[in-house]
Amino acid sequence: MNRIGIGLFLLALVPAGSARAGLDDWLRFSGYVQSDVRYILEDTRGAEAGDGFRFDMNRNDLDLRLELLPTERVQAVLDTRFRFYGFNEAGKLTDLFRRDKVDPYDLYLDEAYVTVRGALWKKLDLSVGRMVKTWGTADQFNPTDNLSARDFSDPLDYTAKVPNQMVELVAYPATWLTLSATWVPVFKPSMLPPSAAMGFAVERDAAGCFKSAPIPPLAVSDVKELGELFTAIPACDLNFLDPTVRTVLPEANFTNSQVGVKAALQAWEIDFSLSYYYGRFSFPVAYTAVADVASTPSGVFDVAYTAEVLYPRMQVLGADFTWPLDFTEWFDLDDDVSFGFFGEAALIFPEKVVFGLRALQDGNLVVDKSHVNVQPDPFVKATVGLDTTLPWGTYINAQYVRGFFDEFADTYGLHNYAVVALEQKWFDDELQIRVATAADLTDRSLNIYPQLTWVLTPGVEVAGGTFLFVGDTTPADPYDYASKSRFGQKAAGRSVAFVKVKGSW
Amino acid sequence: MSPKSRLPALALVVLGLAAILAPAVLQGATPDPTEILKKMDEVTSGYADQEMDVDLVIGDVDGTKKTYGMMVWQQGEKRLVRFTSGEIKGMATLIDGDRMYVFMPGFKKIRRIAAHNMQQSFAGSDFSNADMATIAWADDYDVTLEQETATEWLLRGKPKPGKNIEYASVVLHVAKDGYFQNSVDYFNDKGEKVKEFEGRNMQAWGSVKRFQLLITRDPRTGHNTEMRLKTFKVNQGLTDDHFTKRQLQWGGK
Repeated sequence: MNRIGIGLFLLALVPAGSARAGLDDWLRFSGYVQSDVRYILEDTRGAEAGDGFRFDMNRNDLDLRLELLPTERVQAVLDTRFRFYGFNEAGKLTDLFRRDKVDPYDLYLDEAYVTVRGALWKKLDLSVGRMVKTWGTADQFNPTDNLSARDFSDPLDYTAKVPNQMVELVAYPATWLTLSATWVPVFKPSMLPPSAAMGFAVERDAAGCFKSAPIPPLAVSDVKELGELFTAIPACDLNFLDPTVRTVLPEANFTNSQVGVKAALQAWEIDFSLSYYYGRFSFPVAYTAVADVASTPSGVFDVAYTAEVLYPRMQVLGADFTWPLDFTEWFDLDDDVSFGFFGEAALIFPEKVVFGLRALQDGNLVVDKSHVNVQPDPFVKATVGLDTTLPWGTYINAQYVRGFFDEFADTYGLHNYAVVALEQKWFDDELQIRVATAADLTDRSLNIYPQLTWVLTPGVEVAGGTFLFVGDTTPADPYDYASKSRFGQKAAGRSVAFVKVKGSW
Repeated sequence: MSPKSRLPALALVVLGLAAILAPAVLQGATPDPTEILKKMDEVTSGYADQEMDVDLVIGDVDGTKKTYGMMVWQQGEKRLVRFTSGEIKGMATLIDGDRMYVFMPGFKKIRRIAAHNMQQSFAGSDFSNADMATIAWADDYDVTLEQETATEWLLRGKPKPGKNIEYASVVLHVAKDGYFQNSVDYFNDKGEKVKEFEGRNMQAWGSVKRFQLLITRDPRTGHNTEMRLKTFKVNQGLTDDHFTKRQLQWGGK
């Protein structure tokens, strides 16, 4: 065998680069422990009036992350998290024998994937496994970012995502061009905050009598007609059971896979990308509802309300850019005047969704209404923003957002938002105050999120603050689905104060 | 031509160059300040590539210290820094000419950074992001010879027109023996000294010499930052691929 032959033979034996020598070169271990205690600061946004001024969370997380780099071309990542919820869930005597009831916990597998660098071609990377992907140049509000569903189970951690199994190819043909293609075989929906159930909750007065039911996404006149069905009955004679909401999940087949392709480019001073996504909107959209009214011998009417939500199919054409605007250099100014300018837009082609509602009284159909909840017309979600640092060191980030994370062109529609964050650091970045606010310009509700962070020592930080909702808890028009206040409605969440301690390594 | 047969020709070239340079050296003439600066840049950054394992020790005015570990790779005007400890572990920055990117592991995202961030402190230290990005002084400053001692040239540098630099002027102390950047004084537009830089503990790292300890201090407060080199390697054969967004999010050390 000639030398070239021997070389090729050895190359085939070591397909992913040469092995690494020292443990430190190929194994990296990191993670954190975090305790998070929250206290509800109001008693007006709960399921019942007076519910509040109590602990909302007493959570402990242990995150363990392992990165293996057996060769220069292979990276394997395993990221697990143990979450202890901190509240006793033992409701029965027999539960007291079970640790998972007294001290409930979950195990999360946040990431588990392998990346091969230079797979088939030296400028091509292949990643397979459980991952989280983030697209877009805007800060947090990324309408082009649809591959990974959002994890809003903790409303304060609104950057979290639901991991999913994916296959991704990324090519780097030139320094100014990156091409990526991602296939997500099985759809996973976004996780919702616990308060989301309030969107379908029945409200009762202090005497426990029926007050209001969730507004369906119908024409206002149809909602009024439906309301009359119930207003004819004395409120205390209506036993409106808590609604059951079912999710209509797509079948796990090829046609319900998600695919995304993206080209990221650099031209002149601008970094930009163009993207296409085929898949589903990861937040639920109202689909059907049935109100089944049954009279009982006691004269009370039992009302069983069953609703269905689904995840509409959509195609998304996306574009985003980042453009550092350096006026100091452009105009030869003495003082530093520069901004980061970024923008992102998604042209969304949705699947048509028709909402249907039926009301039955003792088995007889009394109301049958339908309404196009999502028109099959393209619409735009977008973000544009600036960030800069003021002369005294305050960082400011301001964005205009058209369409919140969970907003779609359904009957509720898209709202406009101003999102502003201010950040100031002192004492070598050890003390940091950050105030973030999102203002709904459409209905004038507000979310305010001030936080003070103190880095005690490298790797250990304590943070405290509040997460507040401001706005009307009841809709402006009780018959209009779209009149619910974005941050005011109870489904948005509870106003809380929090203290977090995190140690990372 | 065989290697052996090339030697005479090469020797002639070397002799020729020596003949051209000799008069200036023999007469003790001071080289052009810009040439000194370029030589200093060459000694500091003029390798095919560099790799450093560094402890960044931030010292407060009350004497307390905190330490962050980081790896630094450099090639020409490109620099990649990855933090290896503390609450910012895994965060990495890439400087490629005027472009600067940050990889934020928490968000799994690379973000382009605008110029205003360059003037901000680097991880709470006395280094600004711009300091960390300065690779070729000769590209950013026009210099004049302010003073000459037995061992050093003192160069007064002023930002070149159109350069967005936070200092009104600097004074660089360049060692005559080896063109090392011994120290730097930074001044604001009022002429106040706002920062000092000093290299200490010259060591041989394989075939090259380099200060093991780099100290930056704010003379107004006493706040200081040390960069303690644990390893320093040059000419490792790093390719352009090491200074890309692809590498920025790659976990390798």
